[in-house]
Amino acid sequence: MRKTVSVVLACMLVAVLFLSGCAKKTGDTGTIQIALQAPITGDYAYEGQMAKQSVEVATELINKAGGVLGRQIAVTVVDDGSNPKDSAIAAQKAVSMKVVAVIGSYGSSVTEPAADIYEKNKMVSVAYGATALRLTVDKQRTYFFRTCGRDDAQGLFFAKYAVETMGAKRIAIMHDNSTFAKGVAEEAKKALQPYLDAKKTEIVYYDAITPGEKDFSAAVTKLRNTKPDVWYFTGYYPEGGLVIRQARDAGLTCPFIGGNAAINDDFVKIAGLDVAKGALMTQEPLVTDVTTTIAGQFRDLYQQKFNTIPSSPWPVYAADALYAIVGAIGKANSTDADAIATAMHTNMTGVEGVTGPTLFTAQGDRKDVPYKMYEVAADGKLVVHKP
Amino acid sequence: MATFVEQLINGLTIGSFYALVALGYSMVYGVMKLINFAHGDLFALGSYLGYTLLIASSSWVTVHFGLWGGMAIAMLFAFVGIGLAGVLMERIAYRPVYPAGRLSLVVSALGMSIFLQNGIMAIWGSRPQAYPAAVVPSTRFSLLGLPVTTLQVVILLLSFTLMLIIWFIVEKTTFGAAIRATALDRSTATLMGIDVRVVIFFIFALGPALGGIAGVMNGLYYRAISFNMGWTYGLKAFTATILGGIGNIPGAMIGGLLLGLMESLFAGYVSGAWKDVFVFVILIVVLLWRPTGLLGEKTAEKV
Amino acid sequence: MGITESILNRVGLGAKKPSGDQPVTYWSRNRGWLLLAVTGALFATYPFLPFITDYWIDVAFFVGVYALLGLSLNIVLGEVGLFDLGHTAFYAIGAYVTAILNTSLHVPIIVLLPLSALVAAGFAYLVTSPVIHLKGDYLCIVTIGIGEIVRLTMINNPFNLTGGPNGINGIGGPNLFGLAINSSTQFYFYTWIIIGIIVFGLIRLQHSRIGRAWNYIREDATAAEASGVDVRSYKLLAFVLGAALAGIAGNLYASKQMSVSPQSFTFIESSLLFCIVLLGGLGSIPGSILGAAVVVVFPEVFRQFASYRLLFFGLALMLMMIFRPGGMWPRKREGTGLDGLGIRGLPKKDEDLIPLGKPDPAILKPATTAVVRGVKLPPVTVAMDEGMLLQTHGTTLKFGGLTAVNNFDLNVQTGKITSLIGPNGAGKTTLFNMITGIYKPTAGQIDFLGRDITDLKPHTIISYGIARTFQNIRLFPSLTCIENIMSGPHCHARSGTWAAVMHTVAEVREERDIVATAAYRLDQVGLWKYRNELAKNLPYGKQRYLEIARALATSPHLLILDEPSSGLNDKESEDLMVLLQALVKEGFTLLLIEHDMQVVMGISDWVAVMDMGQKIAEGLPKDVYNNQRVIEAYLGKEDD
Repeated sequence: MRKTVSVVLACMLVAVLFLSGCAKKTGDTGTIQIALQAPITGDYAYEGQMAKQSVEVATELINKAGGVLGRQIAVTVVDDGSNPKDSAIAAQKAVSMKVVAVIGSYGSSVTEPAADIYEKNKMVSVAYGATALRLTVDKQRTYFFRTCGRDDAQGLFFAKYAVETMGAKRIAIMHDNSTFAKGVAEEAKKALQPYLDAKKTEIVYYDAITPGEKDFSAAVTKLRNTKPDVWYFTGYYPEGGLVIRQARDAGLTCPFIGGNAAINDDFVKIAGLDVAKGALMTQEPLVTDVTTTIAGQFRDLYQQKFNTIPSSPWPVYAADALYAIVGAIGKANSTDADAIATAMHTNMTGVEGVTGPTLFTAQGDRKDVPYKMYEVAADGKLVVHKP
Repeated sequence: MATFVEQLINGLTIGSFYALVALGYSMVYGVMKLINFAHGDLFALGSYLGYTLLIASSSWVTVHFGLWGGMAIAMLFAFVGIGLAGVLMERIAYRPVYPAGRLSLVVSALGMSIFLQNGIMAIWGSRPQAYPAAVVPSTRFSLLGLPVTTLQVVILLLSFTLMLIIWFIVEKTTFGAAIRATALDRSTATLMGIDVRVVIFFIFALGPALGGIAGVMNGLYYRAISFNMGWTYGLKAFTATILGGIGNIPGAMIGGLLLGLMESLFAGYVSGAWKDVFVFVILIVVLLWRPTGLLGEKTAEKV
Repeated sequence: MGITESILNRVGLGAKKPSGDQPVTYWSRNRGWLLLAVTGALFATYPFLPFITDYWIDVAFFVGVYALLGLSLNIVLGEVGLFDLGHTAFYAIGAYVTAILNTSLHVPIIVLLPLSALVAAGFAYLVTSPVIHLKGDYLCIVTIGIGEIVRLTMINNPFNLTGGPNGINGIGGPNLFGLAINSSTQFYFYTWIIIGIIVFGLIRLQHSRIGRAWNYIREDATAAEASGVDVRSYKLLAFVLGAALAGIAGNLYASKQMSVSPQSFTFIESSLLFCIVLLGGLGSIPGSILGAAVVVVFPEVFRQFASYRLLFFGLALMLMMIFRPGGMWPRKREGTGLDGLGIRGLPKKDEDLIPLGKPDPAILKPATTAVVRGVKLPPVTVAMDEGMLLQTHGTTLKFGGLTAVNNFDLNVQTGKITSLIGPNGAGKTTLFNMITGIYKPTAGQIDFLGRDITDLKPHTIISYGIARTFQNIRLFPSLTCIENIMSGPHCHARSGTWAAVMHTVAEVREERDIVATAAYRLDQVGLWKYRNELAKNLPYGKQRYLEIARALATSPHLLILDEPSSGLNDKESEDLMVLLQALVKEGFTLLLIEHDMQVVMGISDWVAVMDMGQKIAEGLPKDVYNNQRVIEAYLGKEDD
């Protein structure tokens, strides 16, 4: 009996294997195939699943507006499991599907091996949640782009704001040892260096909490005792909501500034409105602020389909990535990877995503990404902060 | 000095959660020698059950029974629910694997853990949820000049009480003797007339149920829950159990408290980033000094 | 029958029946080679098959890396039975050493392949040496700790070496004598050829003295130590070798991914490796490879189910353990016959192993006073009393407040049978345990063959020429009878890992001698026909004889037997007495603990009596038998 079961199972496996191996290839006519590489499982599943939803919304909007080059687009999701090894396999899968371009991925160390594979296979990939400098600085990649900002821009913005606008003399920086959070923290520290040298300010706290944990009372007690004037938390919102509440409970009163992964609706939910109110955030323009038509349509359709709007910026950048790719296809008048890449480097004027114009530098970074200081208003929504 | 006491209290709070989870964990572990990796996920499931009860009924429960009553009912709900889940889990995933030995059971437990985690994600979604502030009973008061919440005190007291109850059952009652006998030698226990199935049912109901209660308390105290919150607690529970000594229930409790204290003090005074390294180094040093855990193991090997 | 056997049967490649009572066809004899040829052909042509894209080739690459990791953990967990849940530490070290040295010092990847292995092995030696004595689950948590410590250290970027959570990128690829390896297909062949070579070595190791020693430790570490196996060294060797292989896997991973970061080396990865070994079957080399294939391919195949694919994976793990808890390709011992031992140059018919008369007497001779096949005994330092082989002087053992053995002087005459008797709980076995080194005496000295053996470790004492059996029979239950006995000559052989893998002339000869010795002793106790049976399947009485045969196989001067007649009926006890007397004629000295007075009176030359840890009488059997104190000790004092 067991033997039969095993044999049947084995045959089923082989069948599934063959079926999944059948690739949908983009021909000269017919639907344009694009892949989305995202963490659908694993530690970042919540971001990946939101990115998927975002891209679904964007796909629908683009198709309703007629698609591109007279053809509709279709997006297939490839799960990269939030870890580098699965990311490499996922990237190869996307390559084997012979899609026109890839939107992906989230997490710089997860994106790194994937970007290498896409580059080797001459396939355009646009990351939406990978902010480490090294992706475009350490290596020259022709086919790699990103719609999210870089850590150094955010770090610099914080540094200037903290010292010049807020006049902070004692600065605390807290991260969580993840690629993203530590990246922003390091950049912030680097950007503060000239001020440190000029003795205009000092960093009194620079330490990490452990993501996945709940209790940061020891860390916040230590933080409180360093008496900071401002506290910059560059980690993610699940920990952010917890740590700010515990800090306030422990008696820390200084202003809290989150990095752009730290504050969203869930942060407010976890921290509680009374605590979250007044928290600041360094952030590129949010979808709620952008007044373009696309932003409005995106918000409405997302709300309609999923009963909420995305709670972090990254899924919106994923939608931006789709708009950028489609725009580039239109500008290049072709689905050829080289043409698309060239268009993305040189010819993107007029192409807009959800958060505004999608222009890229020669290295593939998003151009002209302004940072603003946002604030949690009394109703829990994020608004631009007026100092 | 005040900071030190504060960090101590922090440590005891974290520690009492570890202790409570370790308590349920070591019940199963002590008797079955099964490293139940899924225990942490049952703890998470308990948290979600409590959340569902308190939210789904639009706080009906808290409205009718008050905040503390609501908490009690949520804990009861989780107690029963996770107890049931534990028994089911044993029946379906573990019992068929007993003859194959301990190591195969570990794989089964790992599979169950992955299954539960992803199951929770499938049902409740991947976004973290939060126990709304409205359902959490929390008054603050000052103990020796330091801010303490009633919830903290309740958690600490509850952990101790539960531990005492479990310890009493295991050490002082006849049924407890049956449990200990089964832990030492299952086949001989059967020959002595002990219905081992009842013992197994009991520990697989009670152990996870304790984890479920811990989950609700954890949700109420920290207010954030996510589908992968159980993994860390499961690992810490295992660490605490070994630290205290296998099969030693007070040991698991003490192990948990010590773990929390060490984490807190190290994070507070040295570095948060290195705290887990520190804890594991201490653990290794302790085991080198006392190879069967702090309070020792209760077995003897005849050569 | 498992799938493999049934498939092979249907293809006509069925398993060969042992003992040659069926004609041995070309197919059955060459079954192994044919399987190898088919597998080899499949491997070679895989990347060129029609529907195999770079994606599937990369999957095959990762199967390779995880197969290597599985094989490395299999040594520690499968062969030796050490509970290791932190194996990714060594994987991480291999990967990071490659990453750091390649990016900062531009050391070529191909040079870093053995270097990563060495560093990982060295690290393993350093961290496991202090903790190798820990039992089971305690060792488990320590290995988890080591894994986490390594990962967290990588994240925290000490001395700016490891790149922090970002890790290190820009790692180059391997360059084999001018051929740069960078395509998926090239990596596939590069990896699997390396794995092939390693598997070849591992199979040889598995069937060598080293592999057997590992299995002895897994089955019963105390019995292994008492059979002359240096348990601590072999455990360390397993960790070191396992770490080296994991280091190689790390190097392969780093050079393909071109970047490494701490996220790849979590505790979950270690648990996955654990699953690989168990899914395949503990101690099974093809099993580990198969397990890796399942663990890597399964989530890939189930991609259609998006966020549910891990759900199914968890389910699959549970189902696997329910339906095939022994693994998909468990290591077969029963029914493989003497051929399964992997020893070269065995005669075609098993019986020829026991030539008329005895095998080379040099193999059977008790350990000489000076040199035992290269093990040089230290010089004689103690003057023994005339005719005495073993003497304990004032030997005492206290456990806390309890004195188990009190100032005991035992004298064992060469070439005679000495019996130690006394009521239960007198401390007899404890004394034996001290003589064989399992306990360290609190006071007193033990001299053997002119040397002080008081503080020596058990396996060293065995190699000096003492062997023992246990009161509760400690065999190696899942091994065959012949394998059990082969642990005896273990301590007299010298071949190490290298010799085993290379099958040096000396090693081949040693292995043949080991089998010949074992065969002879097995036959001597009348168990030859059970040679391929698993020890646990033997009836109780025969298990006793098996244990005695194992002790004999160490070619000792002194044979210590702990209640050898316990559980035997009258007839069996008589047969035992005959055997024991024959052994004395052969030149052995015997020391027994016995309760059966018939045996004691029947064959002993000298009797010592122990009660409550102390010697209460000593002398010829009939004198002791009538000694008033002895009678009181057994039967109690008459009330006046």
